[in-house]
Amino acid sequence: MPSVLTLARLQELKGEVLSLELLTPGLDLDRQCADPDLSSPGVALAGYVDRFASGRMQVLGETEIRYLNSLEPVLRRQRLDILFSQDFPALFVTKGQEVPDELLASARAHGKPVFRSYLTTKDFYARTKAYLETALAPSTSLHGSLADVYGVGLLFVGQSGIGKSECVLDLVERGHRLVADDVVLASRRGNDVIIGKGHPMQRHRMEIRGIGIIDIRALFGIRATRQQKRIEVVVQLEEWDDTRMYDRTGLMREEAEILGVRLPKVIIPLNPGKNITVISEVVAMNHLLRYAGIDSAAEFDRELKGTLLARQEYLEEDYE
Amino acid sequence: MTELTTDERIVTIRNRLGMHARPAAEFVKLAGRFQADITVCRGDLEVNGKSIMGILMLAAEQGAQMTIRTRGPDSQAAAAALEELIENGFGEA
Repeated sequence: MPSVLTLARLQELKGEVLSLELLTPGLDLDRQCADPDLSSPGVALAGYVDRFASGRMQVLGETEIRYLNSLEPVLRRQRLDILFSQDFPALFVTKGQEVPDELLASARAHGKPVFRSYLTTKDFYARTKAYLETALAPSTSLHGSLADVYGVGLLFVGQSGIGKSECVLDLVERGHRLVADDVVLASRRGNDVIIGKGHPMQRHRMEIRGIGIIDIRALFGIRATRQQKRIEVVVQLEEWDDTRMYDRTGLMREEAEILGVRLPKVIIPLNPGKNITVISEVVAMNHLLRYAGIDSAAEFDRELKGTLLARQEYLEEDYE
Repeated sequence: MTELTTDERIVTIRNRLGMHARPAAEFVKLAGRFQADITVCRGDLEVNGKSIMGILMLAAEQGAQMTIRTRGPDSQAAAAALEELIENGFGEA
């Protein structure tokens, strides 16, 4: 799903935080920002636009405004016309600076809105970029349940009715935290992090077959819930299938892909009487151990190989 | 082996109260009778048609348009039955 943000929406959601003031009322605010990067025009103000970063919102700090003010009015207008004829959604002037008349005139002539912010340039960059990266991140909705188990984000997936919600309910009862049940909104941060959270409508409610809709926060308290969590391991619950090969050693690594990010996947076959909750806790702990450099399966394999090799050497000597 | 088919229908909510708890329950109960995988989309939100939380999350009011997608051996029957349920306003006014 491609994410876009209109200027009107940016102003509505972040106008206060970014202390935005629209200097060109009447211009089209349905223009879209699709690039989370910001850029200060720099040499574009000197007329050099060969390497202009198209699509990025432009920010004028104190240096740019002072430079503009140092130019003769005619030249100033010319240079601004060159800037405004480039492709970008809107222009921002920071530190609440006075804006030269030529700038507003050129902006109107090219239909590009100008905002003034009272933040310092550095602050404006930091806050706006952080917000744009989140708002424009690639995102999708997943069918599954997300829980924080010992600080590890486990995403339970599997057919309807396999017991994802029941498993998460049991985990909550054991002191772990629910992020979202059934519908998980996932978004990508950078190239390798997937953040999952619930839909605003759903809060921390879930459906348990036979009981109906329950509210985890009301039942177990605030500590049983979490607003969002990085998805770290995908746990796929499946009905036991005799013909399928399950990983018996832990040396095989399955992977799942969400928004182009590859995540470790564990397939857990279910059969009656299996304590899926404890297994889930072990999945989380095993993940933490691997990060701490302890890979139980690989270590056992190494020890075993060492023993086998030693035995071989012993036999070779004995053979003599 | 049974053939996997797909079906897709665009439906409009008819009843005045929209897809509140009772209609949503009827929807998932009906969806659950079919083998096919069922997803329902509204705007950019896509949910599992067999889960009541998912269906409720769509918050589909009267006049809302949704897309029902089915995939499985009985995909056509599933899509037709769900379409009929919605178009009949879940038996409500």
